[in-house]
Amino acid sequence: MSSVRQITEYLNIDLEKELWCCNRCGYELISARENYKKGCLVYIRKDPTTIYNSVLTGPFSFSPDPDWAMLVEFYCPNCGVMIENEMLPPGHPVTHDIELDIDKLKEKYLTAKSDK
Amino acid sequence: MRPNPKKLLEWIKPGAPTDEELECMKLLQPGDYEIYTEKLNNFLLESKEVFLKLGVSSMLRSGDLVTGIYAPSGDMVAAWCGTYLHAVVGQLPIKYVAETWIKDPTVGCKDGDIFYCSDPLYGGIHNCDQIVVMPVFNDDELIAWTNAAVHQPETGACEPGGMPLTAKTRHDEGMLLSPIKIGENFRLREDLVEMCVNLMSRAPRMQAIDMRARLSAADRLRTRLVALAQEKGNDFVKGLFRRILIEAEEGTRRRIREWNDGTYRAVCFMDIVGEKHKLVRNYLTLHKKDDRLIWDFTGTSPETDSPQHCMPHALAANVAIHLMSYSFHDLPVSGGIFAPMEWIVPDGCMFNPHYEAAQSNSAPSCHGAMTLGTICMSKLMFDSPQRELVAAATGNTGVGIIVSGENQWGVLIADFLAFGLNTEGHGARSDMDGIDAYGFSHCPTGRAPDVEDIENEFQFFNLVAKLCKDSGGFGKYRGGAGTETIYSVNYVNYALYNSHVKGSKVRNCIGLFGGYPPGTLPGIEVLHTDLWEKLKRGDKDIPTGAVQLISERTIKGDYKISSIFQKTHVMENGDIWVVFSGGGAGYGDVLERAPEMVMDDLRREIISHWTAENVYHVAYDPETLEADVEKTKQLRKKERENRKARAMTWAEFEKEWSQLRPPEDILDYYGSWPDGKKTREIIRL
Ligand SMILES: [Zn+2]
Repeated sequence: MSSVRQITEYLNIDLEKELWCCNRCGYELISARENYKKGCLVYIRKDPTTIYNSVLTGPFSFSPDPDWAMLVEFYCPNCGVMIENEMLPPGHPVTHDIELDIDKLKEKYLTAKSDK
Repeated sequence: MRPNPKKLLEWIKPGAPTDEELECMKLLQPGDYEIYTEKLNNFLLESKEVFLKLGVSSMLRSGDLVTGIYAPSGDMVAAWCGTYLHAVVGQLPIKYVAETWIKDPTVGCKDGDIFYCSDPLYGGIHNCDQIVVMPVFNDDELIAWTNAAVHQPETGACEPGGMPLTAKTRHDEGMLLSPIKIGENFRLREDLVEMCVNLMSRAPRMQAIDMRARLSAADRLRTRLVALAQEKGNDFVKGLFRRILIEAEEGTRRRIREWNDGTYRAVCFMDIVGEKHKLVRNYLTLHKKDDRLIWDFTGTSPETDSPQHCMPHALAANVAIHLMSYSFHDLPVSGGIFAPMEWIVPDGCMFNPHYEAAQSNSAPSCHGAMTLGTICMSKLMFDSPQRELVAAATGNTGVGIIVSGENQWGVLIADFLAFGLNTEGHGARSDMDGIDAYGFSHCPTGRAPDVEDIENEFQFFNLVAKLCKDSGGFGKYRGGAGTETIYSVNYVNYALYNSHVKGSKVRNCIGLFGGYPPGTLPGIEVLHTDLWEKLKRGDKDIPTGAVQLISERTIKGDYKISSIFQKTHVMENGDIWVVFSGGGAGYGDVLERAPEMVMDDLRREIISHWTAENVYHVAYDPETLEADVEKTKQLRKKERENRKARAMTWAEFEKEWSQLRPPEDILDYYGSWPDGKKTREIIRL
């Protein structure tokens, strides 16, 4: 059993190093006990019409109202893959979405490994 | 005495097995469990068909309903789904009747009795959902309960359609029935039926027929269970029921135990409160510890003077739609699934309001929580044997389009236009696109009615019904497309129309692992049109979609672009309106979507050329729709570089982001910013 677990589409945890890593390029983002988003590059997409093309303009259209919500995009600083994004009202705190019990994980996977 | 909300929530879980039940389980021989659980499922399927064939209202005929089998204690043993949430909350009025009325000398419970209820304070979802409950007796022993439930699209409230956006308290919401005995000797009591029909004077025929449809379904199920008990004995049935509950509980615990311990969080935002556009927050912290799941909704915005609330048990039941259709889809649809779960729903938040609060919009108010449940469970299940069940959120717009008035046959109706309701886009999965126009967010098996059926029955002409371009959230795997429909009032001088669809300002549907949420949904109406003249002349420029309608404007009339969310208003003959059902959210980075899949989306008109070029960064021949794979690689490499160039470090981001804040006027109902704590008392008249 490897000490690296794939936790999301784009994130691995290296249990021996206790690090979040990019699944695509292996780049070491930040401590596995931190919010991985802090180890990403972050882009505030203030104009949602750059993703949601809308024939309508004005207060009601096919694109979210930026007064109500903006996209916050998190990229791998090395390969630029989009690891996650959030649709948040401007200034709303970013979510600490995955907070794993690292000690439990190490016990589950590393102990099992050394037993073998 | 009304049960308290904590008790209702606890009632979702099964009670402990009795010694008698454990003893009865020994009667099951090898193979019996498999054979007789399947038999129960067949009974349910038959009762569902009876239900579907006898009722008239749209949701009923779309299959957005449930029939269920419950143990004498009220624990859910099996259900045809249908609408999973009705199955889950179906337990609660039964447990109430079992605890109170059975023992009450003025009520009691005997073979042939029929109970009926609709009040969320007694375990329902909202008062539109009417539930019939029948005890099942064999040899003078109560061996089970059956139920049949479906949304009734009229309640006699202060607005037509049963879900009044202007309701301030429960007193504005029409008929609210605590569980009552509405029939004896296998027959409904006509005096009580008359009362219900009279309260629904906007759509009396629908009420009269659908009540009988519910009863017929529950009674068919009852007769099958009696036959089973006569063949195998009451003790066998008791043993079978308990075995199902235990199998479901053990299966659920086993699966949860395998997943990674930790805390998973998600947040989403709803853009309506009452009849206004205002921002509210839904927040979920999901704790997974050993074999338990703890659902904590702390951080959700406070209760308001609107009908957008639900009771904690209704919240749990709505979130269970994901559990029963994804995470534990292969386990019996029974109360056993909930044994390892706990829920924390703070007093005074929109999911746990004062008992006087209006909550007729309970189901649509839970769409955000349904999104959060799907997202947190998907993040929990990715590193597990259940990775194939990982998904972004379903559309969750709740396409409640309600029309009322006289239909083309002169019959009074108040009903859903169920096409949009049952054609939301599915969330993208970890290995495939979401299903286009998959169904109803509360009912994976819901079926959209045929256009011909709508035109034959209602007072409307259906100009367009098709998949909506660019409506599914973009990603490595695309969210399922929603639909667009265009209606016009036909045959009658006017009709009343209201819409509970959310998402004109921000969607409560969110993507997964870099997949984008879907776009917003505007409201489009064209009044005083020349549509009939154009059709009579055979004009060739009649629009075939919403974008064409508003950009080319070949139909003359007064164009009104506003919110898709509309309180009750009059639409005149020839007036046009557009209904959008929301697409599902995307999964994964758009730059990883296979160029051939993007071309296929173009061929099927699921996305626009603008999206293929600007979102997916694919190079292709616009004539042949053949992708240039090499050039696409270069474009995408460049876009990755662009991303890195325009992005900031976390510290830089925090500095800039923390300076921003939404406009004050949209935060009136949000609670404290940004944590959504209660900031004022609501005084209800
Ligand atoms: Zn990377």
